[in-house]
Amino acid sequence: MTLRADTSHSMRSTCQTFVVALLLATRGSAAPPTNDKADFFESKIRPVLIEHCYECHSDDAGLIQGGLRLDDPKAMLRGGESGTAVMPGRPDKSLLLTAIRYDDGLEMPPDGRLDPRVVKDFEKWIKLGATDPREELPTNALPEDRQIDWESARSFWSFERPRLHDAPVQNDWGTKKLDAFVFAGLQEVGLAPNPKADRHKWIRRVTFDLTGLPPTPQQVEAFLVDERPDADRRLVERLLASPGHAEKWTRLWLDVARYAEDQAHVVGKNDSLTYPNAYLYRQWVVGAFAADMPYDEFVRLQLAADIIDPENTDSHLALGFLGLGPKYYRRNSPEVMADEWEDRVDTVSRGLLGLTVACARCHDHKFDPIPISDYYALAGVFASTEMFNRPLNDAVESKGGQAKKPNDAVHIVREGKPRDLNVMIRGDVNNLGPVVERAFLTVLSDEPVSLKKGSGRADLADAIADVYNPLTARVIVNRVWNQFFGKSLVGTPSNFGALGDRPSHPKLLDDLSVRFMQSGWSLKWLQREIALSATYHQSSDIDPNKQAIDADNRLIGRVPRRRISIESYRDALLSAAGNLDRSIGGTSIQPDQPDSNRRTLYSKVSRLDLNPMLARFDFPDPNAHNANRYETTTPLQKLFLLNSPFLVQQADSFTHRISHHGGSNRSKIEFGYQTAYGRKPTNPELELGEAYVAEGTAEVWQQYTQTLLISNEMFTVD
Amino acid sequence: MTSFVNRRELLRRAGGGFGAIGLASALQSSRSLADGSNAALDGVHHAAKAKRVIFLFMNGAPSHVDTFDPKPELAKHEGESPSEDINGKNRAGGFMPSPFKFAAHGESGVVMSELFPNLARFADDLCVVRSMHTDVPNHEPGLLLMQSGNQQPIRPSMGSWLSYGLGSENENLPAYIALAPGLPVVGPQLWSNAFLPGEHQGIAIDTNHTDVNKLIANIRHPRLSGDAQRRQLELLRKLNAAHLEARQGEPSLETHIRSMELAYQMQGEASDAFDLSRETAGTRESYGDTEYGRSCLLGRRLLERGVRVVQVFYVKNGSKQPWDTHKNNNDSHIKLCADSDKATAALLGDLKDRGMLEDTLVIWGGEFGRTPYSQVDKSKDPKKAGRDHHHTGFSMLLAGGGVKGGLTYGATDDFGMHAIQDRVHVHDLHATILHLMGIDHTRLTFRYSGRDYRLTDVHGRVIDGWFA
Repeated sequence: MTLRADTSHSMRSTCQTFVVALLLATRGSAAPPTNDKADFFESKIRPVLIEHCYECHSDDAGLIQGGLRLDDPKAMLRGGESGTAVMPGRPDKSLLLTAIRYDDGLEMPPDGRLDPRVVKDFEKWIKLGATDPREELPTNALPEDRQIDWESARSFWSFERPRLHDAPVQNDWGTKKLDAFVFAGLQEVGLAPNPKADRHKWIRRVTFDLTGLPPTPQQVEAFLVDERPDADRRLVERLLASPGHAEKWTRLWLDVARYAEDQAHVVGKNDSLTYPNAYLYRQWVVGAFAADMPYDEFVRLQLAADIIDPENTDSHLALGFLGLGPKYYRRNSPEVMADEWEDRVDTVSRGLLGLTVACARCHDHKFDPIPISDYYALAGVFASTEMFNRPLNDAVESKGGQAKKPNDAVHIVREGKPRDLNVMIRGDVNNLGPVVERAFLTVLSDEPVSLKKGSGRADLADAIADVYNPLTARVIVNRVWNQFFGKSLVGTPSNFGALGDRPSHPKLLDDLSVRFMQSGWSLKWLQREIALSATYHQSSDIDPNKQAIDADNRLIGRVPRRRISIESYRDALLSAAGNLDRSIGGTSIQPDQPDSNRRTLYSKVSRLDLNPMLARFDFPDPNAHNANRYETTTPLQKLFLLNSPFLVQQADSFTHRISHHGGSNRSKIEFGYQTAYGRKPTNPELELGEAYVAEGTAEVWQQYTQTLLISNEMFTVD
Repeated sequence: MTSFVNRRELLRRAGGGFGAIGLASALQSSRSLADGSNAALDGVHHAAKAKRVIFLFMNGAPSHVDTFDPKPELAKHEGESPSEDINGKNRAGGFMPSPFKFAAHGESGVVMSELFPNLARFADDLCVVRSMHTDVPNHEPGLLLMQSGNQQPIRPSMGSWLSYGLGSENENLPAYIALAPGLPVVGPQLWSNAFLPGEHQGIAIDTNHTDVNKLIANIRHPRLSGDAQRRQLELLRKLNAAHLEARQGEPSLETHIRSMELAYQMQGEASDAFDLSRETAGTRESYGDTEYGRSCLLGRRLLERGVRVVQVFYVKNGSKQPWDTHKNNNDSHIKLCADSDKATAALLGDLKDRGMLEDTLVIWGGEFGRTPYSQVDKSKDPKKAGRDHHHTGFSMLLAGGGVKGGLTYGATDDFGMHAIQDRVHVHDLHATILHLMGIDHTRLTFRYSGRDYRLTDVHGRVIDGWFA
């Protein structure tokens, strides 16, 4: 038994006395005959094991904890992941005893210590040879014999390659192939799609969805009078080509990439771990989306641009995907680096593959076919990669190729010393298992895919951005779908594993994913395909009969009414107020400052202290990959609408704008409605407004315009 | 006592215009929780002993051997080198006895140092835990472990878990409020909701401010009078009603309408709750006019009004961790304890007088303890000696909320180096706090990233030896 506190003299002497006494006791009497030993086990040991241990350490335990079984004599001798549980005759070498003594960090049973007399019984039993008369159990039930049947594992829906499907028998609804799948799904339960949305509602919807901005009154007007048959298509093309489009879709990607500009820990004024030039990565993403960079290339560059195209240093900005990952306090200590690798594995696997590989850091994945060795095979790639502050230019101070100050650097990664990791048993950096060679996930590889060239990042990029990878296309198609319908085909966008949702429209998802790849992995193609579908043209009205059959609209019998994101809402406020600054790219802003007029995309994103406006409105925590945004409605959000200097500023500007528009109160109110909501006011709305502003003072106009800006209609899209 | 309870009921309900159903749906997020049920309404697993909790956090870590864990052996071995240096940084001096006298107090005879003359009056209400231990002797991971159960900043804080599990008792105030005069080390991640929905984030109040309008962001319109704003809201109500009328069957739109009404009411309620000028001069004096004293008094006002979790950080303007006494340990502890003793005792007294201590859990402590041996700087001046970080054994206090008073629980070895008897890990503390609040720590889970997360991860055991 090890006593760590050399200083605890009294404790040590007590224990020594005890051990000596025990030795004397055993020497002084003849060893009891075996039958007595078996009786001792049956009366003193076995009942305790059954009562206190079997729940977690037997074949009956749902999950055998720590790989240790105490219901089988051989398994008990062999022990679990921590080592030998029982060594006959050697209490000091028997971890079981250490654990029930609550010694050395091991504390079993976890819900409370056993009576000291019971502990003594165990000590005596081990001392006397740990006689265990129980029958051995069949060995095939032992944990190390648990094998993944890869063939059957690969037959899970998301591990099978997506393929094209014939459209179900078509009708005259819809012109897009995806419509046929939606129609068939509805028809199966006797439902029909909703009618088409009003055109003024649809232009507002599609403009927000493609660009994150509201349509201007002029754009609404031009669309409403356009009676040509391809008016919708031309509108969508205009939106896809507009600069706002790339900005809106960039934010989706930044959620995936847990984009941030600093760390959750900043010690004092030490900024050495921060990312003041993170915005260069954001800018790269905007550029990539604007150019409709094929998604496979987009992924490859973010993982390995330095290897794929060493000369094209501009493309290396893409590496911010890895290079802006969290760096934790006390980095370089083994356990902290293990935490950092987990972040990289998590972001890459959930973000790009929809798989929760990080679950396998401490044990085999409990639900998906991802053994712990697969985790370390992947983590080795990131252990072989260095975070790299590349100097912005030749003029800046550098050391070892890195800029000395973060301000002078672009934050990317570079090749480190290639290394394979040991499996860390139970995630413990001090409990090393066998070395595993860097390799791609077994379940996604028919033949083993080695990741051994350099760090293995380029190989990894190829394995992910591969037309034969069953997940990559599906996962991004599903994320894009989510942006249009507020709901994805697979309800868990970053978990396509056993615990994730099954797709509502598996054939639609597969067919669309294959055609997306066939269309050169073009995101604009995908967005066009969805935006011009009849499915997306449906109205958002709720039909009670439909509701009764498909309450959560899983079959997409309408386009759900949605609340726009904080980014779109703030941008819409600036737009209505006439303050929106449309310049693209550049450094970050504080979005809640009254004089901040750039799009919300350009907000500074802090892991340390997220802007309170963003935090209040469901912006995701940038410390980790975000699968999907939550939506909460709280009084604190409303206080921001009622009283914040930012809102008051926008209301003042909106008032000026309306006043500048001139005309009668009625005409000013009409202008206000068109600017804020893209529609004309109804008669009752006009009357309400006229009554409110009758006094004519600046104050009542400001109250009135603020009311328009904070009403439900402002942030609801039909 | 009954009249106080009624007063609290009154405070809680003041301004609340909605019945229980309205409250429920207004506070509920517009999406349901991951498992489809609403834990804020039905998540309590057993009867709660504590309805609310206030965690008085001594940033930087107080010295256990100078406060609640007397070690006479240190005097006998003064100056002797410990055989191990916990920090492994080779900056250990010899054992340093505490200069402070310890005595037993109350009927229970709880022993504490002379640095807590006021708290000594509450000895029979205190549960002194002397056998705490945590994983690392560094502030950042230690703080995060104590606040979120994990060393890395990616998990929800305990307050967020409690908000998620229990919601607020008062519809007009947030469930979870963090009081800090400036940011402590680590900062907002200590009250982060992480992957829990945003409504469970702790609302941070910078108690450097004394003006209510500056304490709470956006609590008042910069220009509009109350009447004008009421008129504005009437217009808003009509616009929203017409909008809703054309969109039947959209409960989320109704939630927005109610939430706006709550915000309007909160303006009044919060202004009152945060306004210390409504306390008598005598009361304010009893807490002391310090950052910590004001935080404790504010904390009491918030607890009275039904705020579920109040987190007080002992931070001072200019110091993010005042208790980090690497130098001048003794002089610093005299000053820090005087401040902490006075306000903490005033808070206990107030809670007791109001009949609230029995269902309010009070926790006092830091992220770890300090070394029983000294840390000396280059001057080698023993008067300036400090104590280093110490994580293998330290003390915390609990009171009220179903905890046994007059109890001294667990022990460190003769030198205060290691917790050796009835050891309590931070995870165990969390498990027990949740238990007292009526929550089974293994069952308060949130599905995220492919698995069910909980405050205690795979650890934690409830210390039933603390129960009254």
